[in-house]
Amino acid sequence: MLWAFGFSLLYALHGIGCAGGWDEVAMAGATLFRWALVGTWCLLCLGAVALMRRAWAAPAGFERGLGLVSALAGLAAILVTGAPVVLTSACA
Amino acid sequence: MNALRRHRALTAIWGAPRGWRGTIVSVNHSDIGRRFILAAFAFFAIGGVLAMMIRAQLATPGSAFVGPDIYNQLFTMHGSIMMFLFAIPMFEGLALYLLPKMLGSRDMAFPRLSAFGWWCYLFGGSILIAALAMGVAPDGGWFMYTPLSSRAYSPGINADVWLLGITFVEISAIAAAVEITVSILKLRAPGMRLDQMPLFAWYMLITALMMIVAFPPLILGSILLEVERAFDWPFFDPARGGSPLLWQHLFWLFGHPEVYIIFLPAAGVISTVLPVMARTRILGYGWIVAALLAMAFLSFGLWVHHMFATGIPHMALGFFSAASALVAIPTAVQVFAWIGTLWNGRPELKLPMLYLLGFFLIFVIGGLTGVMLAMVPFDWQAHDTHFVVAHLHYVLVGGFVFPMMAGAYYWLPHFTGRARGGALGSAAFWLVFLGFNLTFFLMHLTGLLGMRRRVHTYSEEMGWTWLNLLSSMGSFVMAFGFALFALDVALQIFWSRRTRRNPWSAGTLEWASPIPTPAYNIASLPHVGDREPLAAQPALALKLARGEGYLAEPRHGWREAMAVESTTGAIDHIVVLPGNTRLPIVTAAMTGGFFLSLLFGFYWLAPVPLALVVVLAWRWASVLGHREDFGPLPIGHGQTAPIHREAAGAPGWWGSAFLLVADGTLLASLLFGYAFLWVVAPNWPPPARIDGGFLLGLTAAAASLAGVGLARRGLAAAEARAPIAAGRAAAGAAAAQAVCIVALLSLGVTALPAPETHAYAAAGWALLVYAALHAAIALLCTAFAGARIASGHVSGTRLLEPSVARLFSDYSGAATLIVLVCVLAPAIAP
Repeated sequence: MLWAFGFSLLYALHGIGCAGGWDEVAMAGATLFRWALVGTWCLLCLGAVALMRRAWAAPAGFERGLGLVSALAGLAAILVTGAPVVLTSACA
Repeated sequence: MNALRRHRALTAIWGAPRGWRGTIVSVNHSDIGRRFILAAFAFFAIGGVLAMMIRAQLATPGSAFVGPDIYNQLFTMHGSIMMFLFAIPMFEGLALYLLPKMLGSRDMAFPRLSAFGWWCYLFGGSILIAALAMGVAPDGGWFMYTPLSSRAYSPGINADVWLLGITFVEISAIAAAVEITVSILKLRAPGMRLDQMPLFAWYMLITALMMIVAFPPLILGSILLEVERAFDWPFFDPARGGSPLLWQHLFWLFGHPEVYIIFLPAAGVISTVLPVMARTRILGYGWIVAALLAMAFLSFGLWVHHMFATGIPHMALGFFSAASALVAIPTAVQVFAWIGTLWNGRPELKLPMLYLLGFFLIFVIGGLTGVMLAMVPFDWQAHDTHFVVAHLHYVLVGGFVFPMMAGAYYWLPHFTGRARGGALGSAAFWLVFLGFNLTFFLMHLTGLLGMRRRVHTYSEEMGWTWLNLLSSMGSFVMAFGFALFALDVALQIFWSRRTRRNPWSAGTLEWASPIPTPAYNIASLPHVGDREPLAAQPALALKLARGEGYLAEPRHGWREAMAVESTTGAIDHIVVLPGNTRLPIVTAAMTGGFFLSLLFGFYWLAPVPLALVVVLAWRWASVLGHREDFGPLPIGHGQTAPIHREAAGAPGWWGSAFLLVADGTLLASLLFGYAFLWVVAPNWPPPARIDGGFLLGLTAAAASLAGVGLARRGLAAAEARAPIAAGRAAAGAAAAQAVCIVALLSLGVTALPAPETHAYAAAGWALLVYAALHAAIALLCTAFAGARIASGHVSGTRLLEPSVARLFSDYSGAATLIVLVCVLAPAIAP
């Protein structure tokens, strides 16, 4: 769920940032666009880690295992699918 | 009561009359499931004939077999039939037929909804096939891209047939999705925990939930495009602020999850059949369920990989390319679990296993070419070539058709009560397998040599001739294979010898019923404590037939099934299901009348069938229920349970909740479209924005909130056994919703620009119409609850109708507020 939300958020921010010219606003050695997306990505990763900790603390059983594996998959998915925010050009 | 008397009594309750009357009124899940399967196979045959015509045309360069106009109809209808009229309905049919039996129940949660979905599918599919026969079939490709499908470039009725026919069929898909979800979550055998469900049920549950979320974007896109074509509201016209890319987003938001919606049920068949063929239990049950969940979520993050060549910025491409590659991992988890199961067991090369081996080879190749296409640079080279055609057929035929044929041979004894004989099935396999690979493996090469999709001919100098000729020969070999399969099945149905119960020695509950199955499935319902109940208790089938389970004693002529707590499987209540009725076919016919009115442009006539649908829906809900409380009733094993009307969380409430999830997805898609146009589409900002309208907006919001409050008060009063106050509150809620509708429409008329002028105005109007429509639905629900309170069907314990009315009022209130914020915001934005 967090991945789905985060993925939509990153894609939406990308569209809004490009339309709003955020990639032309210099900020702390990069651009407003880059910081906004990298910051969001980092927050999403932290959120996924928090969800993993919560799943870890759940009572033992099938639901715990399922929650834990799903949280791990969510974290991996956020890491991989969000990685383009540091790897690719912004709006080109 | 002995077993024979019980059989006769239950058959009298659950059976349908013989002949045409039975065909029309039956709502039994086995009947409806069988019909879906047979009709889907008939549509598959039609789609197959179209494919052979396509291959006949492409067999030689410069062929004059069909012209470009007919060719366009051929490939459009081939794709549309296979996706919408074959694949989805085929698995719906299998789910409807099998799920209650596998879950130890007697029917699905909403039998009339199943029947309604069936008739919608039949009527909608017939409209499409009739259009094909009359030469006016859709011809813009199965994804109907704008502007090609807009009125300017497709002036005929062809595109309307697709938009309206497919939307009609989609009603059936949403109905099935809600039905399957609630049935799996609630109508299981007592004791069956979530982690004891057969994997097939897990696959179906995830698939159904995906359908609830994935289909609304397509339904919305189809509605918007039809409105643009009919009334010139320019959602997709860039000259007036629209965007053709919006259509692509809405289509592929549905289209890519659709691939998994098709694959997952087939994977469910594999996870059921393969362990039986390997004579062991499935390996990694929990991992498979986790992989399923991961796959379901990730599949919603892939849609833009169908749009890599549309000029989207690199970073956005990166998001979707990464997600597209990542989805291979949960798929691989399943494949390795299956391989591990084979390794762990003692596999027998029986016919279903042969088809599963065919699946492995073909699907893995399709998956690998999928990873190739997920890489943007490769996709740019191969985009829109026959390489993509080869890839999608490897995935869909490998991932759906082969497992379904394995499933067909596995469950045919269950359907027919007869054993398979002869070697025709093996011959059919080899013809299909070799023909398929000859057809489509070579198509990878044709694509890499540059042959585009959808071209109706090519010149000899291109160097594609021998590849195309061999592909065409392969397609005919494959067609002979499918014909042989059909013949083999027919021989089994009509001439094979009878077979014993559970011929495969499987462990799942569908084999506990006599075969062919009686209308009531099993004489009494089991208590389940194992994933493979028949393996854990070999004598279970006989015990159930002797009436040693739950609900063994028929009473009041009721169709009874057990509902359980979703996670633990603890007994919750008795569900009394509706019996045979003509309502589904009549309602589907009226729904069809509405769509046909729109198709032929008789917009003045459309309100008539729509009003009749509302009347029938009222009748649909009002024929059920009681004016008295029954209290806890005995269910066997010395236990008691209330009927669903006297319990919280009845299936009707859950069904309404999941329907609203689908509805919410449609609203979210509409809001996405509104935002997308603001941010991305050309020719914005609009020439004129909303002018005022705050007072009307406030009136609509206040009326909607009053409706919500009064609906809640009505429910509380009914619960407190104050029927007069409850009735007054329900009437007040209905009146408030009426005020809300008038205020919303007045806001549009007085403050918004005309919808034809710009996509902004069209989108604003679409939002207002959405909110007004839902206020109307809330009005009807609260009025119905009021009528039921007045007629004595609602009491302090019988609260289903006011609970559902509250649900719809709450949703309408939330939707109205969101819509008003979105519509009024541009008035104050700089």
